[in-house]
Amino acid sequence: MKLFARELRLLLRDRAAWALVLLFAGVLAYALWNGADLARRQRDTARAIEQSTAAFDKQVREVLGVQAIDPRQLARQPLTASFTPAPLPLLASGQADLAPMHESVSLFRLEQPSDARVEIENPSRLLAGRFDLAFVLVWLFPLFLLALAYDLIAGDRESGTLRMVLARGVAPWKWIAVRAIARGAPVLALALAATLLSGWSADAAVGARLAFACAVVLAYGLFWLAVAALVNGFAKSAASAASAAGAAWVGIVLVIPTWLNVLVESLHPMPSRAELVASARQAAGDAERRGSELLSSFYKDHPEWMPPGMQADFMQQLLAQQDEVGRAIDPVRERFAAELRDQQSMVETWRFLSPAIATHEALTDLAGTGYWRTEAFRAQVAAFKQRVEDFYAPRIHGNKPITKDDLAALPRFTFAEEPDAAWQGRVLASIAGKLGLVMLVLLIALRRISARVLAVSSA
Amino acid sequence: MIARIARKEFVDAWRDGRFRVGAVLMALLLVTASLLAWKQTERAATERAAAAALERTNWLEQGEKNSHSAGHYGVNVFKPVSPLGLFDRGIEPFVGTTLFLEAHRQNQASFVPAQDATSMRRFGELTASTGLQLLAPLLVILLAFGCIAGERERGTLRQVLSLGVSPRALVLGKTLGLGAALASLLVPIGVAGALLFTRLDTDHVDGLGGRAAGLALAYGLFLGTVLALSVTVSALASSARNALALLLTLWAGACIVAPRLVTDTVHDALPTPTLAEFELEMNQDLQSGLDGHDPRSKRLEEFAQKTLKEHGVANVMELPFNFQGHVMLESERMAGEVFDHHFGTLWDRIEEQDRAVTLAGVVSPLLALRSASMALAGTDFAHHRHFSTAAEQHRREFVRVLNEDLKRNAKPGDHGYVAGRALWESLPEFRLAAFPVERAVERAGLGLALLAGWFLAACAALFFAAGRLRVSVA
Repeated sequence: MKLFARELRLLLRDRAAWALVLLFAGVLAYALWNGADLARRQRDTARAIEQSTAAFDKQVREVLGVQAIDPRQLARQPLTASFTPAPLPLLASGQADLAPMHESVSLFRLEQPSDARVEIENPSRLLAGRFDLAFVLVWLFPLFLLALAYDLIAGDRESGTLRMVLARGVAPWKWIAVRAIARGAPVLALALAATLLSGWSADAAVGARLAFACAVVLAYGLFWLAVAALVNGFAKSAASAASAAGAAWVGIVLVIPTWLNVLVESLHPMPSRAELVASARQAAGDAERRGSELLSSFYKDHPEWMPPGMQADFMQQLLAQQDEVGRAIDPVRERFAAELRDQQSMVETWRFLSPAIATHEALTDLAGTGYWRTEAFRAQVAAFKQRVEDFYAPRIHGNKPITKDDLAALPRFTFAEEPDAAWQGRVLASIAGKLGLVMLVLLIALRRISARVLAVSSA
Repeated sequence: MIARIARKEFVDAWRDGRFRVGAVLMALLLVTASLLAWKQTERAATERAAAAALERTNWLEQGEKNSHSAGHYGVNVFKPVSPLGLFDRGIEPFVGTTLFLEAHRQNQASFVPAQDATSMRRFGELTASTGLQLLAPLLVILLAFGCIAGERERGTLRQVLSLGVSPRALVLGKTLGLGAALASLLVPIGVAGALLFTRLDTDHVDGLGGRAAGLALAYGLFLGTVLALSVTVSALASSARNALALLLTLWAGACIVAPRLVTDTVHDALPTPTLAEFELEMNQDLQSGLDGHDPRSKRLEEFAQKTLKEHGVANVMELPFNFQGHVMLESERMAGEVFDHHFGTLWDRIEEQDRAVTLAGVVSPLLALRSASMALAGTDFAHHRHFSTAAEQHRREFVRVLNEDLKRNAKPGDHGYVAGRALWESLPEFRLAAFPVERAVERAGLGLALLAGWFLAACAALFFAAGRLRVSVA
């Protein structure tokens, strides 16, 4: 404890350290402020969609109170599947600037590639990425930690004071540990405070997510302090400790993730969207040409939907065609989903190659802007499309009008959040993996940092 | 003397274990990244060509239908892959690849590759360009941070200068030697890369050689700047350790922080509308015209009256052509004005943002390099706009031909008119004309000028620092 207090006092006297800590605080504050913009934009969009959906719902209700509606008419109105804004958008913007916030679902366009409209954004901004809290925590936080803690004993070794310290009988590993924690403490504390602040304006109860986020950040910080200790076990001078720490950062934060990204996309290449579009149209063309023939075979498959008297109208034909198109392109679509799943599971497997990946994945997962929640939305929209078809198709084929008894059964979309246990399991695995890495790095460092080794090599 | 110093520095650099390891890693990364990118580029090009062929068949075999219905059936066009994109993918992963051309509407390109990717995408992509933009400067710093500060610390600087070597010759020689060591690593890789380009299908690229030369110039200026600055810092710093700390801080600021900070700041200052706002305004103008005076129905009614007057008839059924087709042509013309205005404004704004970010290259040379590199590789927004504009031109011509056919060949009031394969065949496939290399160079001009400015300033700083070279360790 005395060692710790003394180290902290030393740090407080260092003007460069003060400058670094203040700079880090400024960077964190900017990131939080900057991230708020995206969160606000999402909330506004969601609210607007909610209002228009409610207005439409009310209208349908009023009409149905007076008269029945032809299902053909109602089915033409597109329904909006709205993605609930992420629980902690300030923590990490993740895929939020890319993934559409809503999707239009309409019975006669079910087989159209899902909402082709994309939110307007300058592509170079997407390329650069946002200056959000996750960026500061994953990229810059380790730099600040290393800048404060890269020289734990290397400098003393260079100047010869190390031997004096060792002569006083302090266990070197203890000395290094205390020093690392004391020097890292201000930056760690700031990072944790900013993580907690990211839940400040959140709507839902996000306490558990924040607690997990703090654990993720803490484990990541400890990893980098362990790297600092390891570097000091080897480096003979402060300059070489600095370059080794820098090299570790470049490798772990810059090189491994970008390289893994290229590798993942090369090993599991996405099928071609262009092909999907063209083959969907080919299937649609085929179906259209086969017209009435198609319809009779369709009713062979769906005798329960056969209209009384078998006089099919245009809409019924359209539905039958759509069914045919779906059958033709479903395999291609399934390949998309499968490749993306494979890509993600490869990322899951290899994320511990770089704790930066594991941390980024965990933070976007906690923020609700990562792969999993986006994927859940996709899956739920697909299920919703099925519900829309199941509701309207039999009524259209059977010429059954929609009455007020159907009100409760009208398809409506509400996004169901994943059960807490699901994301908690993933994040816990990530934290445990990172702590495992910390132990591993510390073990290697410890072997190098015994008094005997140090005494010999500093001589 | 300078040549001798340079030779010594060159040999020393290659003897340095750290540089050798760094160089090997760098070479490995550049080569694997380029090979993987090459494979991806080829696959994407094949896929899009196959899809375009299939789409053409779909179009030709759509069967007999009303020519305006064929306009609604529409056609998909696919963005050709820029072969230089294997060097610098630029914004390609973040813009749509497919554009649906149909009657009445100008669409945006859809299917953004990044949407079909894991969030790993956000770490960026390892391409040859990112390697040279982010990692090569680190290699330069590693090579140069101790070149003078280290000698001063060891006391050899005093010895060398006491021999009568002029400080300027020493600094210049060292810089040239280190530059040569770096060039001996990067030039062969660059030449191999250039050979790779020649094996690609480069039909729709204008001036490949000029673009490659421009890229070499841009990266040469950039790395030259980094080298001159690193040696300057090494000459002025009190110790090698301080030189390294300062250089790494500058690197992190310029290469990691600046791109995001500047982009976000520029976008706050020059915002783009949201999709909802954009569509709302555009739909309003489609209804009531750009001047907002008359609703669409009124303008079309006036148009009908004018047509009747011109032909001196009282009823549209008496016109010598199909009035429906005639109105379609006019309404497309009216909509075209609105699209031009709105898309033009939006795209101008995006280019304005990009220019502002490039201008911030005054603060971080990386921003100037990025913009020049993307422009020359054909993967910047200007190239994407070129595709979108060409596709829209194609759409207008294609819809015009179909409506003209309706106007000329359908009898007045005939709703049963159908056209067939002959008409479909008369509409050519979409071919994107190559983006002229002069325009690409013009786009890259600002970035290149800033890089040249940086290089000159860094050389001046080096010259100044050499003049003030101090012998003693502070």
